[in-house]
Amino acid sequence: MTTQQPSSGVAQLPLVEIDDIRRVMEHYAEHGWTDGLPVMPVTESYLSEFFDQTTRDPDEVLVSMTHLDRECTVRLAAINAAMAGCLPEYFPVVVAAWAALDLEGYVAKGIWQSTTGTAPMLLVNGAVREKIGLNAKGNVFGSGFRANATIGRAIRLTAINVFGLRPHELDQATQGNPAKYTACIAENEEESPWPALPSEYGFDDGASTVTALTMRSVVHIEARHTTVPEQLATDIAGTIARTGALIHETISACIALGPEHAHLFAGAGWTKADLRRFVYEHATNSREALASAGKDALSAKTRWRLAGEHPDSTPDTAAERGLSEINALTSEAAVLVIVAGARNAGVSAVIETFGPRGGPPAIARVE
Amino acid sequence: MADGILLERAGVPAISICTDAFQVTAKAMADVYGRPEFEFVVIPHPIASLGVAEIEANVREVIPEVLRILEGS
Repeated sequence: MTTQQPSSGVAQLPLVEIDDIRRVMEHYAEHGWTDGLPVMPVTESYLSEFFDQTTRDPDEVLVSMTHLDRECTVRLAAINAAMAGCLPEYFPVVVAAWAALDLEGYVAKGIWQSTTGTAPMLLVNGAVREKIGLNAKGNVFGSGFRANATIGRAIRLTAINVFGLRPHELDQATQGNPAKYTACIAENEEESPWPALPSEYGFDDGASTVTALTMRSVVHIEARHTTVPEQLATDIAGTIARTGALIHETISACIALGPEHAHLFAGAGWTKADLRRFVYEHATNSREALASAGKDALSAKTRWRLAGEHPDSTPDTAAERGLSEINALTSEAAVLVIVAGARNAGVSAVIETFGPRGGPPAIARVE
Repeated sequence: MADGILLERAGVPAISICTDAFQVTAKAMADVYGRPEFEFVVIPHPIASLGVAEIEANVREVIPEVLRILEGS
């Protein structure tokens, strides 16, 4: 590195030539160790600051892709977190994210390479949000916050650099989705009328956790004028039941309510369980609607939805039971409810997720 | 691709078949498994939207290739 004597201001600090910085950054790009954006150079001394944030051994395996015979250790996770631009104090959240993703299980099943083009999405709860500056409010799915941006990116860079999931090679996504750059949000617990998500599943109030989801789309719901909870819940249910989302017989979803919508429900006396139940019961399609979209039956082999006239078709569960209205969800447990975003408009979203279509979500404590 | 390689490794003759859209990924998986020379059969894309007759026609087309690879393994 070339150093110069500064004329004033930043007294005594060595200055680095831009050519040197560019040479380092291009080195990473030339090796393909990137999602396409510039990455942060990493040194052993910088890595040690990440290791100082965890009690785990650098060689401990956090998650495996056995079908690729590849493992992500604490050390590899730290390298990619640093490359993603994480500060060392974010690293416990990254470690918890891998624990949650491992618990969720899709990482080991090849879904991360699938044509469907899903992305891992992280939801962070508890005191760690404020500690590291995770955004839970305005533009929660968007840009502008280093912790959100880089923690999600750390997962993607690891997928690329550790597991080798590069597009056009082992990543077969037909289109992918924008969350494949980064997808880490926090729950707006302070402006939620209800307990936070993890406390529904046995975690203490205020516990710092990461919940792992596998998502395909974030579909927005505009409902600024209604004050009737049944109308809003019907809008949400109709969004969940859209035929385009029906890949399998049933699907799952996470409803991310803006605080205004959450308070509309709570003000009318609804709990999260009430909303889940209503949405389960009303997220349905008629047999005719499914047939018109070519999704009125299942593949006998894969149980994916297809047209009744397809040579591999078999009746779906609703047909076997003689039902004319077909639920998009297996049960109310297939719906998660969180609160996220600013309290400034009647706007919410449905995060279209891949499983679990019942049972608790994958939540790991931040250590 | 992985299944074909693992079956062959277990001593079971196997053929991996993919559509041309997955040819690059199939080769990448063969490399991951340390078998860059692993032969597989490529058929035209797509499959999911074809009828029985079209599927059968594609199968008949590649049977000689399947037999050639099996006999050579």
